[in-house]
Amino acid sequence: MAEAAQLTVTEAAQRLGLSICASGDRMDAAITGAQVSDLLSYVMAQGRSGHLWITIQAHPNIVAVAALTGLAGVIVAGGFVPNEEAVARAEEEGVPLLTSPESAYRIAGRLYELGVR
Amino acid sequence: MDELSLAHHEFPILGRAYFLGGRASTSVKRVLLEAGVDVDTIRRISVACYEAEMNVVLHARSGFIAVDIHPTQVVVSVLDQGPGIEDVRLAMTPGWSSASEEARALGFGAGMGLPNIDEQADEMEIASRAGEGVRLKLIFHRGGRGDG
Repeated sequence: MAEAAQLTVTEAAQRLGLSICASGDRMDAAITGAQVSDLLSYVMAQGRSGHLWITIQAHPNIVAVAALTGLAGVIVAGGFVPNEEAVARAEEEGVPLLTSPESAYRIAGRLYELGVR
Repeated sequence: MDELSLAHHEFPILGRAYFLGGRASTSVKRVLLEAGVDVDTIRRISVACYEAEMNVVLHARSGFIAVDIHPTQVVVSVLDQGPGIEDVRLAMTPGWSSASEEARALGFGAGMGLPNIDEQADEMEIASRAGEGVRLKLIFHRGGRGDG
């Protein structure tokens, strides 16, 4: 079976029912992989351009990490809500910032099913 | 080292201002992009700068990042006024951290900062005097690791 085209951030948001806090300018970028971690240094070390990051951290530093490592976006999981500073920073840096009431585990599982490896 | 610097930039860092963390590093990334530095070098510098910046935010009163863009390398210096590091070798140990509980709750203080910096930089020098501060000097060869 032919490999499906890479999922974009917009498609991930639709398929997983994610709420969009900040859309940034990269919503149509292809997701090339993902990271699940609440340690910022881990994501700095392991995150690569195009990765989607699932975390329960919701403060502005997640946006800085995403911008510096060129991540496709950040999903704040588990019903945590990014504060105003985080949303403003995401708009400023052009980083898609999404939220979900689901756990990081479930979000990761669904992304994996959708072909994000 | 004796190369003419094409551009010199300095960006301040405010200690304890957790939520401003990453501002200086984002500015560094911007000037590197403008200077046409290759993306792999920019990625390595961005990771190292952010870790160094957060060390200043978490531990020091204030500091700054200085960036010198040379034709074949980029030199990054991070200086701070703060408590300094008593035992640099211990601080370089992966997993070791003196970060506060407050910082750890925000996802910092995993003891990965200095090892991450060392991993990204081609050359790293760290000097510290307890009670005064830390001077970190990093050299990144442009155009790929060891290709300087």
